[in-house]
Amino acid sequence: FELISDEGYRFDGRKPSELRRVRCNMGVFTQADGSAYIEQGNTKVLAAIYGPHEASNNMRSRVCLDKCFINCEFSQAMFSSAERKKRSRGDRKGKDMSAHIKQTFEAAVRTQLYPRSQIDIYLQVLHSDGSLYCACVNAATLALIDAGIAMKDYVCACSASLTKETSLIDINHVEELAGCAEFSAAIMPKLDQIIYSELNGRIHQDELGQLVDAVTNGCKDIFAVIDRFEVITDNTEIAVSPRSLHS
Amino acid sequence: MAKVMLGESEKWFIIHGIQDDMRNDGRSCEDYRHIEVETGVVSNTHGSSRLRLGSSELLVGVKVELGSPDPKAPNEGLIHFHVDCSPNADPSFQGRGGEDLSANISCILTRIYCNKSSIDLNTLGIIPHKQCWVVHVDVLILECGGNLLDAVSIAVKAALHNTGVPNIQVTDGDEGTQEISLPDDPNDVKFINTVNAPVLVTISKVGSRHVVDASSEEELCCNASLVMGVTKRGRTTGMRKMGGGSLDPESIPEMIETGKNIGRQLHISLDKLLKTEQGMAEDIEKAGYL
Amino acid sequence: MLKSKVIMVKTRSGKILKIVREHYLRDDIDNGLFGGKLDQHPELQNDLVSSEHFLIPDTNVVLHQMDVLEHSCIMNVIMLQTVLHEVKHRSSPVYKRIKSLCANPDKKFFVFTNEHCIDTYSARVKGESTNDMNDRLIRIAAKYYDKCLKDRNQTAVLVTNDRANCALAKKEGLDALTIEQYVKNIVGYPELLDKLAKADEAIEVDKSISYPEHLKLSQVQAGVKSGKFFQGKLGISRENYLEGKIITHGEDGKEILIQGRLNLNRAVHEDVVAVEMLPEDQWSNPSGVILDVTVQPGAEITDSEKKKSSGVPTGKVVGIIKRSWRPYCGILESFGSPEMTRHLFTPAEKRIPRIRIETRQAKTLIGQRIVVAIDSWPRFSKYPQGHFVKALGSVGDKDTENEVLLLEHDVAHEPFSQAVLNCLPPSDWSIPKEEFAVREDFRDLPICSVDPPGCTDIDDCLHHKDLGDGTVEVGVHIADVTHFIRPGTPIDNEAATRGTSVYLCDKRIDMVPELLSSNLCSLRDDGDRLAFSCIWIMKPNAEIVSTRFCKSVIRSKSSMTYAQAQMQIDDKTAKDPVTMGLRGLNKLAKILKHDRIEKGALSLSSPEVRFHVDSETHDPIDLQNKELRDTNSMVEEFMLLANCSVAKKIQQEFPECAVLRRHPEPPQSNFDVFLNAAKSRGLELNAATSRDLAVSLDRTEEPKEGIHSYISTLLRILATRCMMQAVYFCSGLESDFRHYGLAAPIYTHFTSPIRRYSDIMVHRLLAASIGADKTFSELLNKTEIQNVCKNLNFRHRMAQYAQRASVGLHTQLFFRSKVVHESGYVIFVRKNAVQVLIPKYGLEGTVFMDRDFEGNTTVNADDLKYIEDKCEITVRGVKLCVFDEVTVQISHDATNVQHQRINLKLVHPKINGISI
Repeated sequence: FELISDEGYRFDGRKPSELRRVRCNMGVFTQADGSAYIEQGNTKVLAAIYGPHEASNNMRSRVCLDKCFINCEFSQAMFSSAERKKRSRGDRKGKDMSAHIKQTFEAAVRTQLYPRSQIDIYLQVLHSDGSLYCACVNAATLALIDAGIAMKDYVCACSASLTKETSLIDINHVEELAGCAEFSAAIMPKLDQIIYSELNGRIHQDELGQLVDAVTNGCKDIFAVIDRFEVITDNTEIAVSPRSLHS
Repeated sequence: MAKVMLGESEKWFIIHGIQDDMRNDGRSCEDYRHIEVETGVVSNTHGSSRLRLGSSELLVGVKVELGSPDPKAPNEGLIHFHVDCSPNADPSFQGRGGEDLSANISCILTRIYCNKSSIDLNTLGIIPHKQCWVVHVDVLILECGGNLLDAVSIAVKAALHNTGVPNIQVTDGDEGTQEISLPDDPNDVKFINTVNAPVLVTISKVGSRHVVDASSEEELCCNASLVMGVTKRGRTTGMRKMGGGSLDPESIPEMIETGKNIGRQLHISLDKLLKTEQGMAEDIEKAGYL
Repeated sequence: MLKSKVIMVKTRSGKILKIVREHYLRDDIDNGLFGGKLDQHPELQNDLVSSEHFLIPDTNVVLHQMDVLEHSCIMNVIMLQTVLHEVKHRSSPVYKRIKSLCANPDKKFFVFTNEHCIDTYSARVKGESTNDMNDRLIRIAAKYYDKCLKDRNQTAVLVTNDRANCALAKKEGLDALTIEQYVKNIVGYPELLDKLAKADEAIEVDKSISYPEHLKLSQVQAGVKSGKFFQGKLGISRENYLEGKIITHGEDGKEILIQGRLNLNRAVHEDVVAVEMLPEDQWSNPSGVILDVTVQPGAEITDSEKKKSSGVPTGKVVGIIKRSWRPYCGILESFGSPEMTRHLFTPAEKRIPRIRIETRQAKTLIGQRIVVAIDSWPRFSKYPQGHFVKALGSVGDKDTENEVLLLEHDVAHEPFSQAVLNCLPPSDWSIPKEEFAVREDFRDLPICSVDPPGCTDIDDCLHHKDLGDGTVEVGVHIADVTHFIRPGTPIDNEAATRGTSVYLCDKRIDMVPELLSSNLCSLRDDGDRLAFSCIWIMKPNAEIVSTRFCKSVIRSKSSMTYAQAQMQIDDKTAKDPVTMGLRGLNKLAKILKHDRIEKGALSLSSPEVRFHVDSETHDPIDLQNKELRDTNSMVEEFMLLANCSVAKKIQQEFPECAVLRRHPEPPQSNFDVFLNAAKSRGLELNAATSRDLAVSLDRTEEPKEGIHSYISTLLRILATRCMMQAVYFCSGLESDFRHYGLAAPIYTHFTSPIRRYSDIMVHRLLAASIGADKTFSELLNKTEIQNVCKNLNFRHRMAQYAQRASVGLHTQLFFRSKVVHESGYVIFVRKNAVQVLIPKYGLEGTVFMDRDFEGNTTVNADDLKYIEDKCEITVRGVKLCVFDEVTVQISHDATNVQHQRINLKLVHPKINGISI
């Protein structure tokens, strides 16, 4: 099984530096303070934001006097993966992902503006096909914007992998299973800062630079898509991004 | 915040309005809110549906698997229901907060579907005593806007209608073993027959009148309700009283009649919609949440 | 544009999954018509096609007609992605071949990614099977090309094996032909017709034989799973081609015998088959006596005679799981008249049955060695059907026979492809300045190399320096091949496939191109060279104080032969640093050897000879046994030490993925025949451990009553045959690292990267561990490494067989015009024959005791007495025991054109009717 064919195309027909089709929508729910839906290829994530509000009873111990605290919960629908897996809410993988996303947004949200309050970020994965963390972060960014919560900058995330000296951007599930090292990162594009990064697998030190560059470019592409959507503010779908494929 | 809180005067306002057959959003007592149903939204399930009832939002995914049948019913397949309350709907559903509600709903669903007349489970059997289809229905509640049970049952019927069970072939191998082989074409499926699938109708008693499809504010005003499962032909498959208040025994037959009529109408509209959807070309992109 | 692909998959645990994948459509896919990948004006002409045309083959044509496609006249072919995918799933050897054709720029094969091109994509129609859909996609692609080529007045021809597909395509207005029609009408290349593989209809139906039908694969798999059938690889007996056995898969592999044509049911040697056991009353025995006089000498001693009693498990083949057909060398039988087109081909490998082929060139092919591939074996045909691939040359001609033995042992010997040569540096390459900065400079050390005469690929150099403080510095410098061969490049892939250089008597088949092996990498004494060094600080008693590894630049002061080095050491007047170093090395080597022997290292021997080749005719003139001097042993000791040190280092750094070499301990049963033979002559040997074996073998050197002096060497030769094969393995997947023969706890190959690929892998690991080079994912992938090791072990074995066959070939050529009397020794006694070894020529052969040299039985059962335990045979009163000295006449026998052999006839002791 080759990740890149000899003619330079990946398994699904993309070139190594191309993102999957990104589609998004904001304001999907009426009851939540902010909500968004994003599709990156076949990875579909719904995000809902509640807040800022007074800390709920069981979280009262985490209240801070000078800033708000962010509470994040990640859950995957049972039909989201090809094989139906019964996932309980508090399992390790979910908690792990929630913690990472919480950490990501604590760096991006202007928490000092909301002291003594709580912001809830809820993420629901409807269909998972690789790059879960990245789709969740992108969905949460949009939802936070929809909720009107002040942030330092957008947060865009993208994943990349390295095979035979070429870096592949925005990996899907099949490419994840192929066993190469996978690098995901969340970036604030205008400020050009990395607020979260994670590397799975083993690569040589010399190759790290190439991977980081690839991921940064991917994130900037995603930023371009999300930004363009923002300009068309009446919640219609968008299906074009500069470096992704024609629709 | 998703939690709905009502003051005393608001409650009385609603109750008095209902007594005059005038609800807050202008409906009459037997009107349903705007229902949106879309099937086939989740592509990696065998059947799925998305439903929006007022401000309640649900997603149902159906997956079929091979399994062994219940020894008491060796020729029949199995249906399992599972309800997941996403914290998107209400922060109180975070962690294990939504478990009570999920357990309740899945229990009720199991009750109304597990009798001979709802879905013919014999069609789901493959090899008696050894293999059968196990249908897993997963309901994901994304928003709670009142009247969850009705919404869930409509969505489940739509999803089951959309579910295609692969047409497998059973060949005889050596020494009595039997090999199951998949068809070559992924579209070679047999749809589940949901002609007799029931739909839940909740009739809530508010003041002295009963209303159908209570919104979340109205639910807070009612303290007793009757939930019944109604099939297309108007027959009742199950009934349960919910809530802490009491019901007048004389009003129950009336409520049941109302329920049956409403149920029949629901079925007619739903079936019409499902038929239209099936008739549409397969290639149309599903809107989903976009 | 995004489409999705839906497939249904059934997992092993019984779950049925619906998998949805994205499928993007592009509008920027290159169709190859511009830009030089395909010719602007394809030259090949065909009577059935009016204009210049490109070919689009479908899957079956690629799977079955590779030989036609590989012919040089077939160019300008468009390979569709759909076709390639299908080929990959159906047959990986064919896939490899088609990929290499596509990679060859001269063949003008262009791969078109039709499934992602928006103009040629089509979704699955409801009710369509996968095959129909693929055929439809191929037709759509053909139509697309037709449209593109219309304004150039050219056309695309769809070539298929399937008449139905052809008809459908014609109906849609496409140019479509079956491969037969196409090939028959090609202008100018009639020989292509012979290369056509035949469809499944039998060429000739034999009424006498009708094989039972093979079961379908699914039935076979179900049967194997339930235990009704046994799966295993079929090994046909060398002595009887109608008999074979399989060793069943799994840990308790048992042997099942299969006898007779019907039971073999069209299974060919090395096929993986499913066997059903016959009922016990039908069990029989393998034929114990050597039937065939043409058994190869030196073959494994089968103890089939031991199975005397009731029958061994016997079975019959019910289905074929995997065919292992390959092209076979052989000759055409002169059968009927040369004007007939149907002939029988006899392969050189006796375990393969005869093959029926159709050819028009029979007249020219008789007397030539040809290569034939099998296509199919229908039920009603006695022999399999095949087609002619190519002719090699006249039978018996040295170059042709060399070619045959290389082909039969799957040794890749074609010249290196352009892609490989492009990876080489220019021939005027010199060490770039940056290298000096990252390497240690050893150019003023007294480095020298010692190699056999005529050696051009010098892998290793040594040096020895007295540090003055009671310790000495010893260095082994190995050619830094990995600097030139980078991972993943074509030259690396080619070297990995070849695995090792093959040394035939008169030729060397290189693993890497000559520019590297004999020039840039070779550590010659004519300039600076890049090396990978292993430096030890040792005490005078050879105890290692410290070891370090580094990349370096060296300048060898002298390239010597073993003889020259020995002379230098012995010359008392020579006092230059190189000679002083040699003496130091020699002294240390002796101590190292002694230590190794103490630990139990074995020193066995084999009768190796070297041919002197006449420089004009390249025919062998004389044979010479290999002599072992001190200097041979000196170099060997340090190479072993380097290999051990490197093994320890890479195992430490990469415990999961180090490439190591181990030699499993032979089971005691391997030694039974050998110990028995020794005991029969009164010598008690002990083979419990390698040390015991070494010690008891040494004891036999002492002179003893009634035993001649050569017996010790004979015993060593026999002991070699009891050994197992040493193999390469990946350290994460095995637990036993020991090397039995060297008595080393851990070992690898490091010192010959020019001629062994395993050394290249070890170099890469070592370089990564000292930080001199970076790692890459394949280097650290255990399964990848294990697969490469499997291939290396296979190539190593094949190279050994090829080398032995080459020696055999040259021996035959040597004896072509001579008849010689020579003395030899009996090394094995059988029920009706003895096996004789002639040390002077390194020859081994069988002398029959129950028939004369014409093959007529002259001795009847009463005159022949065989006592197995005492390893002796008495014929007409003359007793012959194992290790007895005899005299034989050696002559060349060319009666069987394909299998020419050396005949041994007994001269002394004189036995009536047997000796001459």
